[in-house]
Amino acid sequence: MAASLRRSAPSHRGAGRVLPWLQRNLFSSWLNGVVSVALLGLLLWLAVKLAQWLVLDAQWSGSGPGACANTQALCWPFVRARWPQFLYGLYPSAEVWRVNLGLGLGAVLGAALAVRRMPGRRWIAAFLLLAYPPLAGWLFRGGVAGLAPVDTSLWGGFFLTLVVTGSVFWVSLAAGVLLALGRQSRLPLLRQACTVWIEFWRAVPVLVLLFVVIIMLPLFLPSNIKIDPLGRAMIAFAILMSTYLAEAVRGGLQSLPAGQYEAARALGLSWAQSRLQVVLPQALVVALPQITSNFIGLFKETTVLLVIGLFDLLGEVQRAASDPQWLGAGTTVAGYLFVAVFFWLACFSLSRASARLERRMTRYRPARVN
Amino acid sequence: MYASKRSRLFVRRNSAFWMQCLLGLALAALVFLVFRTTQANLELLGVQSGFDFLSKKAGFSISQHLIPYSEDSSILAALGVAILNTLLLAVFCIALASALGLLVGVGRLSSNWLVSRLSLAYLELFRNIPVLLQIFFWYYVALRALPSFQDSLFITDYLVLNNRGLYFPFIEFGGGLSVNPPVMGRFSYEGGFYLMPEFLALWVGLSLYNASYISEIVRSGFESVPRGQWEAGAALGLKPRAVLRRVAFPQALRAILPPLTTVYMNMFKATSLAAAIAYPEIVSVFVGTVNNLVGRPVEVMAVTLAFYAGVSFLVAWLMGRWNERVLRRGG
Repeated sequence: MAASLRRSAPSHRGAGRVLPWLQRNLFSSWLNGVVSVALLGLLLWLAVKLAQWLVLDAQWSGSGPGACANTQALCWPFVRARWPQFLYGLYPSAEVWRVNLGLGLGAVLGAALAVRRMPGRRWIAAFLLLAYPPLAGWLFRGGVAGLAPVDTSLWGGFFLTLVVTGSVFWVSLAAGVLLALGRQSRLPLLRQACTVWIEFWRAVPVLVLLFVVIIMLPLFLPSNIKIDPLGRAMIAFAILMSTYLAEAVRGGLQSLPAGQYEAARALGLSWAQSRLQVVLPQALVVALPQITSNFIGLFKETTVLLVIGLFDLLGEVQRAASDPQWLGAGTTVAGYLFVAVFFWLACFSLSRASARLERRMTRYRPARVN
Repeated sequence: MYASKRSRLFVRRNSAFWMQCLLGLALAALVFLVFRTTQANLELLGVQSGFDFLSKKAGFSISQHLIPYSEDSSILAALGVAILNTLLLAVFCIALASALGLLVGVGRLSSNWLVSRLSLAYLELFRNIPVLLQIFFWYYVALRALPSFQDSLFITDYLVLNNRGLYFPFIEFGGGLSVNPPVMGRFSYEGGFYLMPEFLALWVGLSLYNASYISEIVRSGFESVPRGQWEAGAALGLKPRAVLRRVAFPQALRAILPPLTTVYMNMFKATSLAAAIAYPEIVSVFVGTVNNLVGRPVEVMAVTLAFYAGVSFLVAWLMGRWNERVLRRGG
């Protein structure tokens, strides 16, 4: 187990290389050998147990609550039966096409953006950032221009997770950039106000802020303004997210050499011009890893919505598993496994994609020593 | 950047002066407006204000209390119990997550291929699953599967584990050291110290999740130590483990401490997830029970926010001090 700087040697092809590889990487000393054998044994035992539990002992066939008579066995029919609830919550099934259309459009636009040689990428990006959010909001909420209204209390599941993550991130990125610029302003009052605002909210847990906004916001606002719980929850998330993103962007701003600011001034650019055309494009590239890791954090954190009575993906699974018809350890575990696999796949591929994007973007990074 | 050195309230340039006046007025007006609206709303709802409710009788019980507490105690005492429960959980989590994170982080650098791959697998598995789901798993699945009180697991004679919690011996210092093991009573184990299942689920869940972040910090900290330092240590005839402990670790610590502070703060803040499974810490006791009981949302929220902000700033200050010391002492 002794650590050393020597990382595992690269693997070689061919059977003749296997033995030296094994010796170098698994059996370099007798202590290493003992550890390797013990770990291999443990892994094998774990793999057998897992396969037994996940596949062999699990209940696969059947439908309806009666399928899982043995409440201890993993109950996959539960996931199959409650699939629509996990996806859409209580969204009326006749209107589900609107959710599919809205999310599908977002997915297509996002995929188009990921293609490097896409013609008109700039326009797609502008559409996604400016026109898509209100369009999707209209599709999901309805109530205008012929679409039946769907109350947000019916929203749930995977759909709610995506809506909260997407809209909070959209608002917070803009607010975060403004806060970061404000924290660097030459106006002391603005600078202090932004600093205090950021530092205070950074110290507060998301769950506490959710309670604060849910309970306090109606008190702060005149009684004729009503915001539904989902809107309030999004405001709470956006307050926190924008301060996190502001710190990420500030890191990017501070990494720029002072010469960039001075050069922009020397060119006679106004404050807004220099920020939009010189400073922010470089700062955002530097801040990109931080921004994406915050995005992934937000995505995972939407699960706390269930504590305040909004049902995201985990909330719907929890609600479905507490249905008396389906009670049993097997259903709960199957539901959790489903959510875990979903989040794991999403977060893992997001972080991989962000690492790739980061490598690609480094060519836009300002040239600097150190 | 070029302007941040100026600390005078007003910059000499005229436009900036007026902009700040405008900003100040707008902020003041906003605060005043919110204050008046809130006052009017509270009056409309017939809500009283003030902190006098803290001295009233609580009237509810709390299952885990580190200081003497009963239903007859004041709400202030309940707040104290809740704060201590929060801090207890945070300290336990920080200890376990640090130990585990160090182990996995050093494991990533191991020359044993299996160890470094398993450490990577740990990181990717626990980091990419929401922590609340992990807590739910430990609470609703793993702990429920533990044996009942009648056939408890004895880890040693002194550690008893069943689905009602983990029982420790109670150590007394009066007149020499004596260890009182938990004794099986009629309905539960008695005589020892005991951790409730809610605590165990939060402790394990938060620690395993945050250990993945700490392991990554530890790994990059060790990798920031120049290769020559390891070789120099080996050349001096130190054994690999001694090089690790006496040469690499003190230097890695300088790169580790600042991001570690962030993880510790996040972990402390995440103890509020206890409200999801009703472990009696400050959010579930104060924001939940007490607020429902007395109906003073403004005061309750103010106390809670002040607690989190206060502890966060204290931790940031302490870790800053430690960091300074490490930077000064390190070679």
